[in-house]
Amino acid sequence: MSAAPIPPLPPLPAAAGVGASADEGATVQALREIGRIGIFAGALAARLFRRPFFWSEALYHLWTTTLRCLLPVVAVTLPFGMVIALQGLEIFRMFGAERLLSSLVSVAVLRELSPVLASVLVAAQGGSSTAAELGSMRIKEEIDATEVMAVDGLQYLVLPRFLGLMLATPLLNIAGNVAGLVGGYVMAVWIEGEPGGIFLGNLWALTAPMDVWAGLLKTLVFGAVIGLVACYQGYNTTGGAAGVGRAVNDTVVQAVLVFIVANYFLTSALFGGMGP
Amino acid sequence: MGVIEFIGVSKAFGPNVVLRHLDLVLPEGQTTAIIGPSGTGKSVLLKHIVGLIKPDAGEVRCFGTDMARAPEREIYAARRRLGMLFQDGALFDSMSVGENVEFPLVHHAPQMSAAQRRDRVAEKLALVGMSGTEGRATAGLSGGQRKRVGLARAIVMEPEVVLFDEPNSGLDPMTSDAIDQLIVDMKAALGVTFVVISHDIVGTVKVADHIAMLYGGDLVAWGPTASVLRSEVPIVRRFLGRNLVLPTGPDGVAHLPQLG
Amino acid sequence: MSFLAALGQFCFFLVDLATAALRHGIPWRAVLAEAYKIGVRSLPILLTIAVFVGTNLSLQGYNAFRPLGGGRLVGMFVALAGVRELGPIIAAAMVAAKAGTEMASQIGVMRIREQIDALDVMAVNPLAYLVAPRMLGSVLVMPALTIIAVFVMLASALATAVFQLGVKPAAFLEFAIRGVQPIDLVYVQVKSFIFGVIICTVSCWFGFTCKSGPEGVGEATNKAVVTAAVTCVSLNFFLSQLMYGG
Repeated sequence: MSAAPIPPLPPLPAAAGVGASADEGATVQALREIGRIGIFAGALAARLFRRPFFWSEALYHLWTTTLRCLLPVVAVTLPFGMVIALQGLEIFRMFGAERLLSSLVSVAVLRELSPVLASVLVAAQGGSSTAAELGSMRIKEEIDATEVMAVDGLQYLVLPRFLGLMLATPLLNIAGNVAGLVGGYVMAVWIEGEPGGIFLGNLWALTAPMDVWAGLLKTLVFGAVIGLVACYQGYNTTGGAAGVGRAVNDTVVQAVLVFIVANYFLTSALFGGMGP
Repeated sequence: MGVIEFIGVSKAFGPNVVLRHLDLVLPEGQTTAIIGPSGTGKSVLLKHIVGLIKPDAGEVRCFGTDMARAPEREIYAARRRLGMLFQDGALFDSMSVGENVEFPLVHHAPQMSAAQRRDRVAEKLALVGMSGTEGRATAGLSGGQRKRVGLARAIVMEPEVVLFDEPNSGLDPMTSDAIDQLIVDMKAALGVTFVVISHDIVGTVKVADHIAMLYGGDLVAWGPTASVLRSEVPIVRRFLGRNLVLPTGPDGVAHLPQLG
Repeated sequence: MSFLAALGQFCFFLVDLATAALRHGIPWRAVLAEAYKIGVRSLPILLTIAVFVGTNLSLQGYNAFRPLGGGRLVGMFVALAGVRELGPIIAAAMVAAKAGTEMASQIGVMRIREQIDALDVMAVNPLAYLVAPRMLGSVLVMPALTIIAVFVMLASALATAVFQLGVKPAAFLEFAIRGVQPIDLVYVQVKSFIFGVIICTVSCWFGFTCKSGPEGVGEATNKAVVTAAVTCVSLNFFLSQLMYGG
């Protein structure tokens, strides 16, 4: 080609680093992030008691989150209940103790599986859609627009979503409890042919209402974690559409990480390991 | 002889008819601009040419290949002979500028050595005024720079047809002028067929040999630039109105031409 | 879009993917690069989760069996549940959460910025270039991740049983070995292979069909992780029933 090249534009200034510089270690960055989340949590807590409290928004988010997550939670806890029954039967049959199966199912579902699975699904469905919503609002400058109109973004946009997620999780745990137990029943009685009466009779042999409450407490804590992480990631999204994807990714990963670790400590505290 | 032909092409998205029985032959070796108000299907037209969209009725031929119905192999063969500049450049974020421009060569020119590819990339980047940027990350580029790199990538295989999807959108006047001039210079040097979708009337008039105007799914103007500019069709006059001398009414005051 | 319509479109996607891969070949270097990325990025979180799931397996298993006089059985319970069910499930969940969301969001961003169209126009098949390597990378690395997760889970369960619950290591291990058959290891690989396929294809499909704007990317990422997780867990039951059912 013999066309003369057009003169290039003057070079852009070197891209300024935003936020932490690249040579900070990963641990320092992680600690910094935890600190920021703490500050965010404090800001949210302060607004709990401030007026105006947006009741209808909070209820709306609670309602929609619960509805959206209901099917996924049931779709996960029901098969899991069935699987516990399936594998549990294998062990119990070795010792002729099939009648004890339902107590195992009950323990597993109420104390561990339902709280954890329900929370994971709320993180994956509710947490990620909240992060995505807030994140794209941030990218499209809708949050800034709200603030400019003298409405507190955290109060109006974030707090209701946080409460929605936190309170939806225990509700969904109840659904998970039911689904898991039903799954166990279906597997043991309908498919494997164990006597239904014995199954139901021994269901509460090892568990008590206290376990249901413990599960609700666990999921309340987990729900708060999900809400905090999702809102923080969404609210602080940077970097365009790719940033929204990253916010969703980080929300699910971080939330699950925190509450699986927390679950261990809660379980130890609530149910204890009894000594030898 | 047209290298790009539309034969009775119709396309609708739901109730919205975007192209209605369009017959158009784009002349070889010339620059054709396709203009029209937003949402009239200019981009849709362009995507038909490359086979990204298939018509509801009719044929779109590019180098004689039916871009809707031919087997994938033939469509790809046709696509290797053309280059397209997307609106935001559509560069790959995971690659540097040099890697982006080199991409078609890597996939379609296996006979070239790495050094030959490097030289070709450098040549095309120089042509678009982005010399020496091979190592730059795409993330930091401005809109104008992305378009230039996108253009370098579009021409790196030295295609016979180059398509431009709104090359001036989002650019400052200086860069916009520069892109227009580049199109004019390249056309003179290459004898290549250019198809330009544009909102920008000033630029269009500068670069185009032929103008096609779409409105409401129909072709309301088609012909050499000079004759389209003199068109009597009301909607065409209104669209090009900015460049025309405003007629004065009986009250001696200049006013916009009335819609017929 | 209704569920059935979406399912149908997904099936077409799978067929297109298979044809594209066969016709255009697969860049093996890209496959290994993807396998490495997926493995390395998912591993830290997977290990952490595996540790803490292991602890709870021990705690709850012990609490369940001890009143029945079978505290020592906890080893068997942990091994059986861990290897057959929980190992594949947590590997699937974590890979979906980490690698799956990344795939969905990366490909989604490419879709909305016309980069996938650009590939098409440059006569490079996007399915063969973008999706096939990720798919093969996933199935390459998932079985390995699952086995690692299982080991870590069992080790953590052992530690909990011994140090927190006071179970004798020998008792734990003796029963643990009785809980696992050689065939279980094969089944674990099969499960993780299937889960890998599901996670990758589902995530990539949501990315491919991403709607415009940042909301579109958020929605695609969201749906990817939920659909992949729910599908894997539901399917897990059927697989278990097939493999272990009476």
